[in-house]
Amino acid sequence: MAECTVTTPAGVGLHARPAALFARAAAKASEEVTVSRPGGEPVNAKSILSVLSLDVRGGQEIVLRAAGDDGQVVLDSLVAVIRDSG
Amino acid sequence: MSDPLVVLAPVAGRTLPLGEVPDPVFAEAMVGPGSAIDPDPGTSVATSPVTGRIVKLHPHAYVVLTGSGRGVLVHLGIDTVELKGEGFRLLAVEGDEVTAGMPVVEWDVTAVRDGGRSAICPVIALDAPMDAVHLLAGPGRVAAGADLFRWQ
Repeated sequence: MAECTVTTPAGVGLHARPAALFARAAAKASEEVTVSRPGGEPVNAKSILSVLSLDVRGGQEIVLRAAGDDGQVVLDSLVAVIRDSG
Repeated sequence: MSDPLVVLAPVAGRTLPLGEVPDPVFAEAMVGPGSAIDPDPGTSVATSPVTGRIVKLHPHAYVVLTGSGRGVLVHLGIDTVELKGEGFRLLAVEGDEVTAGMPVVEWDVTAVRDGGRSAICPVIALDAPMDAVHLLAGPGRVAAGADLFRWQ
């Protein structure tokens, strides 16, 4: 399981546009991808409903986890989406 | 397989195909399939499109989750997150159980347009397959609370 913690850029966070891009990128993964607040319950990163409900704002830390052989590649793409969301 | 869900128009106005929404995130159904409404000018009371729980409530957008686990997103205007709630008044609280048609947000459609933004409201079936949505409202006017689309 590949894992990383990333801080969202200052701004509005993972609202509709970034959440859609984020879930889309996660959906490309062959296996499970989750996102959570540090110490929080992981939610399915491929579900826009779950990502929107997590309500990640700007400047907040989130933990990304991706299973499978392509886990790290998936995480790298998600970090890129988050970095561009500010 | 859940029973089909009828999603109601959250605002009164003119229906638009999702593809005509001036934001590719919605127009290309990146957030999911659905429909859109160009609302009547003036003060608008946006209502819940389905019966369920408000799992997310921002002044400019809300998500209602049905008992069968389906989430419907109502987004009031385009890029209206930038207004940080100005011109929007919450009529409900996140976590509320609501019935379809109940008021959620009161907002000033004209002020959104005067600020140079589109007031078009996408109504989205989150995480639904692209072919899951069947429009019930035809082109033209729709009343708030009227049937908008069916989620198979």
